[in-house]
Amino acid sequence: MAELTPDKFKIIGYSKDEANRIDRPTISYWQDAWRRLRKNPVAMSALVVLCLLVVMVIVGPLIKGYDYETMNVSLKNLSPSSDYWFGTDNLGRDLFSRICVGARASLIIAILATALKLIIGTVYGALMAHFGGWVDELLMRIIEVINSIPSLLVTILIMLVLGNNLFALLVALSITAWCNTARQVRGMIKQLRTSEYVYAAEVLGASHWHVILKHYIPNMLGILILDTATAIPMFIFTEAGLSFLGIGLQAPAISLGVLIAMGQQNMDFYPAQLFFPCLILCIIVMAFNLLGDGLRDALDPRLRQ
Amino acid sequence: MGKYFVRRLVEMIVTLFLIATATFFLLEAVPGDPLAERADKLAPTLKQNLYAKYGLDKPMMERYIITMKGICVGDFGESFVYAGQTVKGLIKDRLPVSARLGLQQVVLGVTVGLLLGVLAAVKRGTIADYLVIALSVLLISVPHLIFGLLLQKVFAGNLQWFPTIGWPAGKDLWFGGWEYTILPTLTGCFTYIATYARLLKTSMLDVVNQDYVLTAESKGLSRGQVIRKHILRNSFVPVITQLPMSIAMCITGSFFIESIFSIPGIGQYYVTAVNNQDLSIIMGETVILAALYIVVLFITDLLYVAVDPRIRITGKGR
Repeated sequence: MAELTPDKFKIIGYSKDEANRIDRPTISYWQDAWRRLRKNPVAMSALVVLCLLVVMVIVGPLIKGYDYETMNVSLKNLSPSSDYWFGTDNLGRDLFSRICVGARASLIIAILATALKLIIGTVYGALMAHFGGWVDELLMRIIEVINSIPSLLVTILIMLVLGNNLFALLVALSITAWCNTARQVRGMIKQLRTSEYVYAAEVLGASHWHVILKHYIPNMLGILILDTATAIPMFIFTEAGLSFLGIGLQAPAISLGVLIAMGQQNMDFYPAQLFFPCLILCIIVMAFNLLGDGLRDALDPRLRQ
Repeated sequence: MGKYFVRRLVEMIVTLFLIATATFFLLEAVPGDPLAERADKLAPTLKQNLYAKYGLDKPMMERYIITMKGICVGDFGESFVYAGQTVKGLIKDRLPVSARLGLQQVVLGVTVGLLLGVLAAVKRGTIADYLVIALSVLLISVPHLIFGLLLQKVFAGNLQWFPTIGWPAGKDLWFGGWEYTILPTLTGCFTYIATYARLLKTSMLDVVNQDYVLTAESKGLSRGQVIRKHILRNSFVPVITQLPMSIAMCITGSFFIESIFSIPGIGQYYVTAVNNQDLSIIMGETVILAALYIVVLFITDLLYVAVDPRIRITGKGR
């Protein structure tokens, strides 16, 4: 074997900066999640459908200029036509406008109820995790008691006490729903607090706020976004069910549930009046479910290969 | 085990007591006079008697104690709206109806769901798998309220294959009048099919990657044997935990299904009572449904231990 001598080597140029260069751009958690979500055709179509629906419930009644309340007895129970896309109801009101306004109300109720659920649940969960000990134990017991009764019963009782109005509905919907959020937040904080990277950040001198902003909040946002995606369709459905049973909102207030209940009365002769509110409800719920599945895959690092 | 049992029993009673108390005071806060409609046309003395009969002339705390004592001995009082109807009597008439509906739903839904779940897991990545996934997304996304209405409209209204509303009574209560029960059962079972198909599939795919499955395969067991003896059995733990949720869904689902199909069960009874503001009935039925649910939760915890020997009761009794 030939002997290796220094003169057989020559420096072809290097720089110390090159050694530490990272070729690919750094991708944050959220960029990565968004990239994954974008690659998921089902979730993206659900997102598009949801955006279209939101646009529809906002501008829908303006397209044809029909008011959702104006009655016109000479035009009652019309079949769907180019003028009245979904037909008219038994008082001659344009069903398309009514569905847009009803779906808007249902969505707003669901979003507000979800916001309540998230706020109460996060604060409650954070308190449990922060204090620990007997406070944690006591607060957990309260959740267990609430969970040991079917939630629809509680919802109905609250509606009974507070009456058939929007405020009552919001309270009734969120009064049991926050338990799940609280549990998840508590678990996440407890897990984070003992995890090595948070410990490392603290040892390296990161301030309390840095840890909260950089580690706690991003980790919890994932949970909370997923929670939102599952809570909204659940609330929409519960609201529709309650209104259908006559326990939720009642006419002249309007929501998908109220429209379905009215549609059922005319089901035998004018099926369109039942079909369209049901269809819109299904589309909303299905789009949220599919988007939620996509978000779960995108946001949950444990599922990644 | 004995100590654990006793501790859980005490916990259940305390929980039920808390629920009953909360329900009582919630119903106290319901605005309006529950007897107003009946007492309106009566002479003052009769009115007084009526209020005395329901104990509404007594102060709230005294009524609370009377109510709680009544619950302890199984006396839930008489309906505010329909004189002579007691909660106990009505529950006795109506519980079997709801029980049959619920059983049929759970049995059909869980069986079909589990079969589809196994199919999807075994044929992973094939058309069968995608069909099952698509079906379960569809079934989960369409609320049973809407399924009920559509089934009723199409199969009872348009095609007239089945009666629109009603439920077998008398000697057909348990094993007859099937044509009445088919649509309500189908309505309710779809959610179970979707839930259990998804659940078992995910759970089976989790188990497939475990080391003991590799061991079983490498010692030469056939694929069928591995699936039956190792994968399926271990996949059933999450399925068992899901069951109490299903029972809860049965209870709350019955509210909608029984209303759609006019089935004289406890769900429709509860909704009617709520719409009539029949507070004594609501009180009684809330406590009974909560008790039912708590017992189911307890049974589930016991099942847990029975199914998975890795889970041990962590009471001090052992």
